[in-house]
Amino acid sequence: MDPDGINERDERMIHALYEAFGSRLLHHVRRATGNDHHWAEDVVQETLVRAWRHAGKLNKEPGMLWAWLLTVARRIIIDGRRRRRARPEEVEDTGLETVSVPDESEQTIAAMVVADALERLSAEHREVIEETYLKDRTINEAAEVLRIPPGTVKSRLYYAIRALRKDLKEKGVT
Amino acid sequence: MSPPPHHEVAAYALGLLDPEDHEAFESHLVECVDCQAELRELADVPALLDEIRRRRSPLEGRQG
Ligand SMILES: [Zn+2]
Repeated sequence: MDPDGINERDERMIHALYEAFGSRLLHHVRRATGNDHHWAEDVVQETLVRAWRHAGKLNKEPGMLWAWLLTVARRIIIDGRRRRRARPEEVEDTGLETVSVPDESEQTIAAMVVADALERLSAEHREVIEETYLKDRTINEAAEVLRIPPGTVKSRLYYAIRALRKDLKEKGVT
Repeated sequence: MSPPPHHEVAAYALGLLDPEDHEAFESHLVECVDCQAELRELADVPALLDEIRRRRSPLEGRQG
C-alpha cells in the first residue's frame, strides 16, 4: 500500500466508505483472518484504499459495492496468507493477541452445515473447490495440480459454487 | 484478447484469478449486469467456505 498522494478529498472519500462499510467489512475480514485483529484492520484499510483508487470504475449501488469490497478483501487476505507461508519467520512477531478465539458453538454449526453441503456435491465439484479456494491456490496453480486447462477449472468452479450455494440456500443458510 | 467468459465470476468472487485475469474480468464486470447480479449472489460464499477452513485449522490466521 502506498499512502502517498492521498489528498484531503480522497481521505474524506475513504472515510465515507469506512463509515458505510467499515464495521461490516471488519467483521467479515476478522473471521477470515482467524480473528487476527491487526491483520484484519490492515486488510480493511487496504481494501478501502483500493476502492478509492478504483472510484471512477466502481458501481455505486450498495449491494454491488459491497460484493466488490468483499472480493478485494479476499484477494488481500489470500496474498497475505501466501506471504506468511513464504516467510514463516515473520509470523513469530505477530504477538500473542493474534491467537484465534473461536466463538465455538455458532461457528461449529455453520462449519458442519457447509461441510455437509460440500459432501453432497459431485466428486468433481467438491474437488475443484478443495483444490482451489480451500488450498489457497489460484486458478492457474490448481489447473496444474488437476492437469486440466485453467478455463476448465474456472467453469467447473462456477458450477460447483452455484450448486453449493443452491444447496445452502435450500438449507436456509444464505 | 477475447473478453473473459461470464463464468469467471465465481473465480473472481473467490479472489482466485491471477492479476491479469482479475483486471480483465473487472473490466467485463463493470459492463455486464448479469455478472454484477451473480457477484452479489455469490458474495457470501467465501465466508461460508471459510467456516470449513477454520474448522480444519482453528489457528489459521496465526500459523498461515
Ligand atoms: Zn458477464
